[in-house]
Amino acid sequence: MKKEMIRIENLKKSFGDLEVLKEVNLNVQESEVVVLIGASGSGKSTLLRCINFLEIKNGGRIVIEGEEIEPKTHNLNEVRQRVGMVFQHFNLFPHKTVLENVMEAPLKVKNQNKSEAEQEAKALLGKVGLSDKADVYPAKLSGGQKQRVAIARALAMKPDIMLFDEPTSALDPELVGEVLATMKELAQEGMTMVVVTHEMGFAKEVADEVVYMHDGQIWERGKPEELFNAPKEERTKNFLSSIL
Amino acid sequence: MFDLAHILDVLVESYPLFMKGLWITLQLTFVSILIGTGIGLIFALFKISGIKVLNWIANIYIALIRGTPLIVQIFIFYFGLAELGISAFWSAAFGLAMHNGAYIAEIFRGSIQSVDKGQMEAGRSLGMTYGLAMRRIILPQAFKRALPPLGNQFIIGLKDSSLASFIALNELFSIATTQGSRTFDEMTYLIIVGLYYLILVLLFTLLVNLLERKLSAGE
Repeated sequence: MKKEMIRIENLKKSFGDLEVLKEVNLNVQESEVVVLIGASGSGKSTLLRCINFLEIKNGGRIVIEGEEIEPKTHNLNEVRQRVGMVFQHFNLFPHKTVLENVMEAPLKVKNQNKSEAEQEAKALLGKVGLSDKADVYPAKLSGGQKQRVAIARALAMKPDIMLFDEPTSALDPELVGEVLATMKELAQEGMTMVVVTHEMGFAKEVADEVVYMHDGQIWERGKPEELFNAPKEERTKNFLSSIL
Repeated sequence: MFDLAHILDVLVESYPLFMKGLWITLQLTFVSILIGTGIGLIFALFKISGIKVLNWIANIYIALIRGTPLIVQIFIFYFGLAELGISAFWSAAFGLAMHNGAYIAEIFRGSIQSVDKGQMEAGRSLGMTYGLAMRRIILPQAFKRALPPLGNQFIIGLKDSSLASFIALNELFSIATTQGSRTFDEMTYLIIVGLYYLILVLLFTLLVNLLERKLSAGE
């Protein structure tokens, strides 16, 4: 039986009076790729950010790899090492070269020795196809290249789970493909992934499960072919027809 | 009244005396800026910490310093610290450092807050503690942005060090006033001391510009 990587029960999150997540339940098995879709403001990014505690939940339970994580009592820094995150706006460190971006956390968080960290960082850059950019500063890269560096940077911590928060939304259309290809490769290697995206092609091709969120709740979920071809809910139909 | 030849004569003649004053001014400026930058960084971190007590401490400190004249602060430090047996040089240095610190705190606070908040999130998402992300990710970027206003504050600090003459410290300005009143040739000495400050400031500006260019290399 596959290991359960993420289990979320009755998750609640509010910003002031605004209830962004209302009793959300979600579980993700090992090597599974779950794609979250929904209109902006539906809570999908907040859900993702709750999983690595960039946002702290107001209620419910979050279980990561079998261990319930309570922000007050757990070392969240340790949890975040196991849960990598890729951001919409890349958030690369502009004062460090590509290689230094990838090496920073292994060196400073894991206290890995330098030659080992460098070797692994170079291997990761090779994997995302950017070996030749190792000594370049992020400002010199295209959006697609930046995002691939960001993926390599997250992978450098050898996470068990990867979260992607609209990784292609800030990219020019012609650069989306290279990032999705990298993500697809990662999925094929068996990485557990939760992806917020508007790329329905990626969802159809790569996702094991697609989750449609609306108004802070999970409205409908299913295999991509079920959800895309035969949505049960009226809202899901409307949403899909509005974006396809 | 404006006799260039005379000014040049006095300039050459008074050169050894002014060098002594210059040396004290440079020491005073260097020490007070160094300590002031440290104080500024600490209070900037207090202000952005989100911890109420620390916020309060920083706000009160900044309000007190900004709300009172520097000369008053220097005298308070001078008379206060003299009782503890601290020299005029060090009480002036502390007074100037505390003064500069308040302004530098605001400069650092602004530059830290101007760094995109995604940078902190990216650091935290990799498992960094707040302190580590602050030190490795935020502060290097913030410092670069702080450099132009910081350079400006350093220049102000350099010129403000002339107020230490009021507590009988023989720095540049006090050389000019004592020599001026000794010779009844105040104007000449004031012009000369102005020249010294001007050259110091120009050299310093050059240094800051070089540093700025070096720090922004590559990006």
